[in-house]
Amino acid sequence: MRTSEQRIAVSMKGINKRFGSVQALDDANLDIACGTIHGLVGQNGAGKSTIIKVLAGINIPDSGTVEIMGKRVERLSPSVVERHGVHFIHQDRLLVPTATVGEAVFLRHEPKFGPFIRRRLMDRQAAALIKTYFDIELDPGVLVQDLTTAQQKIVQITRALAQKARVLVLDEPTAALVKREVDSLFSVLRRLRDEGIAVIFISHYMQEIEALCDTVTVMRNGTDVGVVSPGETPVDKIIAMMINRDVGEMFPARQTKVGAPVLQITGYGRAGSFNNIDLEVRRGEIVGLTGLLGSGAKEIVRCLFGLQQPDRGTVKLENKLINIGSPMQAVQHGIAMLPEDRRAHGVALGLSVRENVSLASLGRYSQLGFMRRGSERSAVTDFIRELSIKTPGGETLVRNLSGGNQQKVAIAKWLSCHSKVYVLDEPTVAVDVAAKVEIYTLLNRLASEGAAILMLSSDLLELSDFCDRVLVVYRGELVGEFSGDALDSDHLLAASSGAQRNEGVAA
Amino acid sequence: MTTVHSTYSQDEAALEAAPPRVTRRKAIGALAIRLGAVAAFAAILIYLAIAAPGFTLPGNLINIVEQSAILGVMAFGMSMVIIGGGSNVTEGGIDLSIAANMGVCAAVYAKLLMLGYSDAPALGATLMVGIAIGALNAYAVVGLGILPLLATLAVMNIAAGIELTVTQNTVLSVSSRFLDFLSTSSAFGISALAGSLILASIIMIALVHFTSFGLRLYAVGGHPEAARAAGISASRYVMFTYMFSGLCAAISSVLMVSRLSSSTPGSGEMLLSVLAAALLGTVFSRRFVPTIGGTLLSVLFIGCLANGFQLLNVSSYWVNGVQGALILLVVATTSFARKPESGQ
Amino acid sequence: MSTLSQNPRGIRQISTFFANYSLLIVFALMCATFAIATPTFLSPSNLFNVLVNNVVLLAIVALGLTIVISSGGIDLSVGVSVDLASMVFVMLLAAGHSGLVAVGAGLGAAILVGLLNAVLITRLKISPFLATLGVLFIGQSTQQLATNGGQPIYLITGTPAHQFDLIARSSFLSVPTPVYVLAACAVVVYLLLHRSVFGRQVVALGVQPGVARYSGIRVGRQLSWVYVAGALLAGVTGILLSSTVKSYVPLSGNAFLLDAIGATFIGTTLSSERRPTVLGTLLGVLMLAAMKNGLLLVGWNFYWQQVGIGVLVFVVLAASFALRRGAH
Repeated sequence: MRTSEQRIAVSMKGINKRFGSVQALDDANLDIACGTIHGLVGQNGAGKSTIIKVLAGINIPDSGTVEIMGKRVERLSPSVVERHGVHFIHQDRLLVPTATVGEAVFLRHEPKFGPFIRRRLMDRQAAALIKTYFDIELDPGVLVQDLTTAQQKIVQITRALAQKARVLVLDEPTAALVKREVDSLFSVLRRLRDEGIAVIFISHYMQEIEALCDTVTVMRNGTDVGVVSPGETPVDKIIAMMINRDVGEMFPARQTKVGAPVLQITGYGRAGSFNNIDLEVRRGEIVGLTGLLGSGAKEIVRCLFGLQQPDRGTVKLENKLINIGSPMQAVQHGIAMLPEDRRAHGVALGLSVRENVSLASLGRYSQLGFMRRGSERSAVTDFIRELSIKTPGGETLVRNLSGGNQQKVAIAKWLSCHSKVYVLDEPTVAVDVAAKVEIYTLLNRLASEGAAILMLSSDLLELSDFCDRVLVVYRGELVGEFSGDALDSDHLLAASSGAQRNEGVAA
Repeated sequence: MTTVHSTYSQDEAALEAAPPRVTRRKAIGALAIRLGAVAAFAAILIYLAIAAPGFTLPGNLINIVEQSAILGVMAFGMSMVIIGGGSNVTEGGIDLSIAANMGVCAAVYAKLLMLGYSDAPALGATLMVGIAIGALNAYAVVGLGILPLLATLAVMNIAAGIELTVTQNTVLSVSSRFLDFLSTSSAFGISALAGSLILASIIMIALVHFTSFGLRLYAVGGHPEAARAAGISASRYVMFTYMFSGLCAAISSVLMVSRLSSSTPGSGEMLLSVLAAALLGTVFSRRFVPTIGGTLLSVLFIGCLANGFQLLNVSSYWVNGVQGALILLVVATTSFARKPESGQ
Repeated sequence: MSTLSQNPRGIRQISTFFANYSLLIVFALMCATFAIATPTFLSPSNLFNVLVNNVVLLAIVALGLTIVISSGGIDLSVGVSVDLASMVFVMLLAAGHSGLVAVGAGLGAAILVGLLNAVLITRLKISPFLATLGVLFIGQSTQQLATNGGQPIYLITGTPAHQFDLIARSSFLSVPTPVYVLAACAVVVYLLLHRSVFGRQVVALGVQPGVARYSGIRVGRQLSWVYVAGALLAGVTGILLSSTVKSYVPLSGNAFLLDAIGATFIGTTLSSERRPTVLGTLLGVLMLAAMKNGLLLVGWNFYWQQVGIGVLVFVVLAASFALRRGAH
């Protein structure tokens, strides 16, 4: 609800920014009014992170003007911008792990007596602020590294509030938060909005944008393509503005030619995590697995890859009983794992494409322990072509590729192993829409060529629209298997939260 | 199209189940390790107190403090570098040149006195030499971006070479009014040497643990990007730590010259003890970071070990080995405590 | 996210060139300078002398360190491996055992040190720097206690002395045996690190250990081999060292540590990803040796040599790190 006399908190006009040959921002504009929650959406590379970094004073624009609270600001830098009341809640929680809550809230603005910190006052004020805004008791002496993600976010926001922020910029704040924490965060943001603070909310999650924001700016190709109100514009339309394509194309059609079981898990159990899990994945099938934080779904996946051991139960691969004692054994058996933290565990950024692709199947390209470069190189060339990996060549370092292409290199690594079963942990998290489509297409192809795919995901939309079947874990038990018409996000949601038990499989 | 719900659902109990149990277990484990380490140190000290003749005599204890002054001041400098550079020793802050730096300063100081300069200019020059070498480290690490391990290694070689050149690998005996003052004067039964350590400790503790400078320094070492996002100039802090380390080396050198009435070659061998002291100290901190108090306790502990062994007529050659074993013990247990529970 | 460079492309290319080849350029310039300053620098007998006396021993230790640093770790205890191998070798010879037994036992001692490091690092999960630092301390103590304060053991005459000569002073085709040993080690390490499956896995461990594990690489086992290999090569140096000086001098191994680390890291400047390489390490060793020799011939005071070497290492590091940073 905008009144005609709302003050403009931030006004960015005509921002241009070029990086080498890439025009990251092309005459982009952003107008944020006080007392609103303003969403900012767009694919990776659309410019939303760049324009925010311009506002933060990290990127210097080539041209354009920035006004904060009606005052033109030149020579932006983090401290200048902060002085004008603009505070950033970064996605990677930039907090010092070994600092206490009190220290983290007041870093660089510590209450002092001469050069000495007034520690008790600092702690008291931090605790008070947190209580006022978030209504929780947080011990100011606890170390940041011992806090949950949600608590760390709270510390970040409190820090901004302690400095009397007038503009709060939140970059993907809800990643790794559970619904209760998200709701709590949203109510705080609404309260801040009502107090007249301007909130800029950057997110990939359309549902949240829809639920929270008063206005949304959509960015594409470095410029703002529209400013809409989520109340009036449906989410589909917003997504269409982001990718300039009909969203219906996102999930490729699945062929459901399904063969014999490849992976059979019986009676899988691990004390404290999960119990009595029976699971089967067949050739050509894409099976989804989902559950809340702590439900045990993640632990099942970790056991499948040898990172943890179950207490009981058996695993059969192509009808043979196998033991998975370590990642190495998993690889030897032909199980591929794409972990959630791609950059830390999925691909080695400092190695070339070639070195990454061959990493799990070095035996294939070697003889008597020595590498055969020729066969390796030609295989990699084949993979690059097959998977349409956008790279200048096999010797390019993986860190120079985009997120989606990095994920493809990770998949190529397992293709090289002739893996029989692919276990994916949140495969499309932090991947932008266009790359998601490519990954779904790729997985589709893998399945049609006979691979068995098990996909752990918390994206219910992805699960319901892409997988053949979805198994839901709740408190360590399998509480439902959904497919066909019964497979939709409502049912998955209900089952995950324990509200409904469904053993049925609708045709 | 169907209404799309939030992708996250929630069950309060499920959430409550996992994290607090893990955190509590970790916290208790960490506390146990710290107490265990302190208990181990205490046990050794008690043993020495009982078994070593004369260990607990006040004169002996003061002696330990005196002997620890030189090591202590350098260890403070090293601690500051490690605090500001992050505790991952291979990639983070470290000053391998500090002992060689001290050697050069001692050589310069002694040489200037021998050449007839009076105390004030000699002292001034010495301090400047120490800071200059520290500045060289600062430039190499911050200005050129060389890994601290390598940069200070190279500077260490340079400093060691300069020291040999000045001293020609001989002992330079000197005496002066200031040196006499340092080595003989005392107040309340505490010699100037011991007093220096006490004074240095007080200043360092105040600086590092009670001022905003110290807090921001820990931030720079703990998460440089977060510090920069908070508006702290990480580069300037890191540069300061290396120059401060150089200053500590210079001050140590003066103490050493006063104690031995000369500058002797071989000061580079102290490097290992300095490192040991700074690293062992982390076990005393709740956050497992270097602290001045922890470093001071380690320095005194190492001093007690050396002294105790002397009194027990145990060969001093055991000291190194014990230091090494202790480092391993402390590090093994602290890294165990620091690890996340997820069994990575 | 890195912001792209503002420098024009040409300057970036030149910077990268200098960054990659700084080692070679400095080396060439240095040799040229020395050759001009003293005619004897390039004389065959001098080069030969440098090779045998200064290069061989350091190079073998550095080769071991190359493997260790490739895996993302470091080994501060190489000096201990050198010394313990030397000690056991000499002591056994003095006690009348045959050369073969003594060599075997010496290498065995070095392997034990490597195993100790391996256990500390892979089982107790101690960081390599601290683990090998601890072993360094303990090793020093051990030597001091075993030799009552650092007394060397000299064996200049008799059967042991003859054994020493067999190793150190024999030659084949007028090339001394130690040089062959170095060549063999270099070839083996090259094949191991740059051409074998093991080497690939080690490099992956050094670049990103998390990915290595998730790709099915046996992290603990490969790391153990790495530290044993490093210690073994250091042990070889210890035996050659004792054979050359016909004695065991305690704590002499530490002198190798700094130069070996320096040489290996200098060698990394050759690769654009700054990975350790066999070629780079050998060049680094050559450069350090040439520097020492050149300064000696030019008449520099022995102590100034130290300074000169430190400055040289500094310059190479500066060029490599700074130029690469500017090119980004």
